[in-house]
Amino acid sequence: MTPTVSASGLSLRYGGTHALDDVSLRLTPGVTGLIGPNGAGKTTLLRVLATALPADGGAFTVLGQDPATSAGRQEVRRALGYLPQTPGFHPDFTPFEFVDYVAILKELTDRGARHREVRRLLEQVDLGEVRGKRIKKLSGGMRQRVALAAALIGDPGFLVLDEPTVGLDPEQRMRFRELIAQAGEGRTVLLSTHQTEDVAMLCHRVLVMAGGRIRFDGTPAELTARAAGRVWSSTERDPGAKAGWRTGTGSFRNVGLPPVGADLLEPTLEDGYLLTLDEAEVSA
Amino acid sequence: MRLTIRELTLPVWRTLPWRGLAASAALGLLLAGALRWGGGDANGWPALTLLRAAVLAHALGLTFLLDDPARHTTATVPTRRALRTGLRIALVTPLTALWWTAVVLLVPSDVRPPVGDVTLEAAAACVLALLAGAVALRWTNEPRPGPSVAAAYLLTAVVTPHLLPAGWKLFVWPQDSNWHAAHERWAWLLAGAVVTLVACLPEPVRRMRIGRRSRTLSPSGV
Amino acid sequence: MSTVLAQTPTATGTESRRTPWAAVLALALFEARRLLLRAPMLLAFLLYIAWIVWRTPDFENGYPALQDADRATQSGPMLIALALLVCVNQAMLRSARRDTERHFAVLVLRPWQRTAGHALSVVPVVLLVAVCVGAQFGWMALGSGAVGTASVGELLVGPLTALLAGAFGVLLARLFSSVLAAPLAIVLLFFLLFGGAFPAGSGERGTRWLTPIVSENTSTAIPSGLMDRPAAWHALYLLGLALTVALVAVLVAGGRGPVLMGSVAAALALALTGGIVQTGALPDRTTVARARATNAPEKQQVCVRRDGSTYCAFPEWKPRTATWASVVDHVRSSAGGSARTQPVLVRQRVYATDGLASDGAIDPSANPHQVTVGTGWGGPRVPEFSAAVSSVLVTGSEKATSGLCDGRMVTIMWLALNWLPDPVKSLSNVRLDDSVTGSAIVLSPTNPMNMTSGQTSVVRELLDQPRESVAAKVKSHWAELTTPKVTSARAAELLGVKAPKEQDKCD
Repeated sequence: MTPTVSASGLSLRYGGTHALDDVSLRLTPGVTGLIGPNGAGKTTLLRVLATALPADGGAFTVLGQDPATSAGRQEVRRALGYLPQTPGFHPDFTPFEFVDYVAILKELTDRGARHREVRRLLEQVDLGEVRGKRIKKLSGGMRQRVALAAALIGDPGFLVLDEPTVGLDPEQRMRFRELIAQAGEGRTVLLSTHQTEDVAMLCHRVLVMAGGRIRFDGTPAELTARAAGRVWSSTERDPGAKAGWRTGTGSFRNVGLPPVGADLLEPTLEDGYLLTLDEAEVSA
Repeated sequence: MRLTIRELTLPVWRTLPWRGLAASAALGLLLAGALRWGGGDANGWPALTLLRAAVLAHALGLTFLLDDPARHTTATVPTRRALRTGLRIALVTPLTALWWTAVVLLVPSDVRPPVGDVTLEAAAACVLALLAGAVALRWTNEPRPGPSVAAAYLLTAVVTPHLLPAGWKLFVWPQDSNWHAAHERWAWLLAGAVVTLVACLPEPVRRMRIGRRSRTLSPSGV
Repeated sequence: MSTVLAQTPTATGTESRRTPWAAVLALALFEARRLLLRAPMLLAFLLYIAWIVWRTPDFENGYPALQDADRATQSGPMLIALALLVCVNQAMLRSARRDTERHFAVLVLRPWQRTAGHALSVVPVVLLVAVCVGAQFGWMALGSGAVGTASVGELLVGPLTALLAGAFGVLLARLFSSVLAAPLAIVLLFFLLFGGAFPAGSGERGTRWLTPIVSENTSTAIPSGLMDRPAAWHALYLLGLALTVALVAVLVAGGRGPVLMGSVAAALALALTGGIVQTGALPDRTTVARARATNAPEKQQVCVRRDGSTYCAFPEWKPRTATWASVVDHVRSSAGGSARTQPVLVRQRVYATDGLASDGAIDPSANPHQVTVGTGWGGPRVPEFSAAVSSVLVTGSEKATSGLCDGRMVTIMWLALNWLPDPVKSLSNVRLDDSVTGSAIVLSPTNPMNMTSGQTSVVRELLDQPRESVAAKVKSHWAELTTPKVTSARAAELLGVKAPKEQDKCD
């Protein structure tokens, strides 16, 4: 499959720290999850790929276009949807007006078609009923959906979502997952998140980032498989474990190098993620 | 492109910080109007001071013009930043001209300082205010840098008259023999500000080294 | 992150229940630190300190009268006041702008307590200004040339102006939720204070004392006892006003209770008392004392005798008599005839009739061998006094020097300048237009003298020659050089330099 996004050697420094350190990746249609601790460089990578921030070094293409030139960047942006980590709004606009405004900025100039598309998207993100209310009157979850609609307008081939489910309640998050899964059909979606469940449920592929580098690139199943044989149960917290906590059943769930004869448990994606981070720390 | 501008005009008009602009313009009119009651002499006192204060008030309002709370959400749209920012400036320019005409007309004609020269000062002050906003937009990632820009502009406006060396005086009185020379400097200042403003409008394709240290660009966002 | 946020208020809450003001103080300290580290604030302090360093050493030519030096500390803090007004205003509006108001609104600290915290956060800035004012004044006061008496009230004006501005910034934020309000208010205030819109009133007292900084028109020092500026009342007025504004802001934010109400009333009473007393009419005894100091200074002066000459000064200037004596000695040492040993009476005189409102000319004294000296010293004041001494030695009295337009001017100027470290620079200093060629007016403590273009060139030539040889010729031809009929050409001839072509002619 031809990659939608192909990047090589991306690097970017803030003062003395490498926010991006020689990052190379290829993204194909479907939802790709990007997980990592705070300060790992996730937002920076997303901003670079969304053309909101030029990188110091390296190159990338989106749908065959190179954003390193002004004209190339225009082409990329025509095929791009971006939901920033902290989306901002004009509080006096209604959701309809705001998404319509973004649609104009995305050069959808046919008024009738554009309005139809805005209405359809607002319905899709479940804001049809409040589309005439001012944004400043909407709840946080609703505002987040306005931002998603703004990202989806113009049917972008590449969608960049930066922690879209943060601050949402479980039901809203579920609803958001549905939306993202829908959006991922036929599109390339790059989803940054702290929720490993989001990744497990949505993504066909997952990237683990730490210290500005990609530490893992594979399927969620492969990430989970990294923890196979390294999760065990015990009655006390095992001092040799990387992490261990008492579960609801009263026994301890330990992740790390199990002692001989330990009572091994079925690993989850989160176990694989924790062990990957641990290895990244050791190698650094 | 033309179609986009037409479609954009109304929403962009609505995103402008109207309340602030109206307040600062109203204060400017009030200051100029004070002369109707006050009086003054033809040497420019206090008419020139009042006109300069009125311009400063309006310029402070203009430092907020490029504030855009939705900046992050609309950061990666194909409509170029130069067009979006230029449109904002284009929308307030005729209103500013109208406002300035009203301010000048409010000053009784017998105490009015040379209109052309004072208009030059006003234009330069306004363009410098826009430039300050554009510089903040260019070098930071802050959606609403207005307060800091306004504070910096005000501080500069208050300090500059005291810091300029004798050969570079900008704020002179009409009867001063340097009046003409000072307004030549104003003209250069205006030209320089316009050129820099235009240069600041496009979004850079490469990353600027100076922006590296900006806290608003830090990886964890906001 | 969210857990940390959730825990912090709880901790603060328990503490504030124990000591209600501890949390307000903690907030004040936190905000003060942020305030001091804001870019406009740092920049303002940088400029302020640069201003102090640039301005202070040359204040009153390095010989400051402390009753003027205290007022010289007042204008610099305006810059800080301005930055403080804007920054504290923005700090107050930060939570509304960043949309954290909904979170903060449910904290234990009530809005009025947060307002009080912000109002208190300006105090460290004000203290820093006070330190700067103290440093600036100390720098001037500890210099060897300083004389006079300072007023604490005047020194407090700078810090109190900053305090008032900070309080005003807090109140503005409570009244208007826009960050534009503070800058616009500053424009309006500047217009009111400096744009001529404020009712200035007439005379020294009156409504002009309602503005924070009350400046004076004159640059000449007068004895501190004659100034009679209500500085202490003004400081009280500023303090009362600042407290009133800050407390009203707390009131607007929802603060209630008898203590607060009482404080508002007390602050208002302070402001009103200070405000009313300071604007009261000038007492008659001040007017009388000023007239006496102008017309009959001898009644208030102390006199010192040195080498037969008498030096009389207002008591505050007594330390300066030694420097005057050294000038007299220098001038006399180059003179000839009886002038070499002629005792003179140096009397300090001021024009104090209008207080500090205007500079007035001092009439030349008709008394023989009496020289007038002003209150300033250093820089051009030294050659000016030197010229006055030499003119009295040559002509006999200040009155006799008036309208002098003959060859004696050459002798007077050479005597006055030859002993100075850089005579040509001093020549330019005593001349009104700072020139060293052509004709010019020569300044002196009393009436100015005229110097023609020819006299100037003769004096320049004399100054270029070795001092001793000129001094010898001056001494040997003293009698002829000091007769009223001598022409500049003749004087040049006697002193062995090229004679000017034109006649002595003064406008």
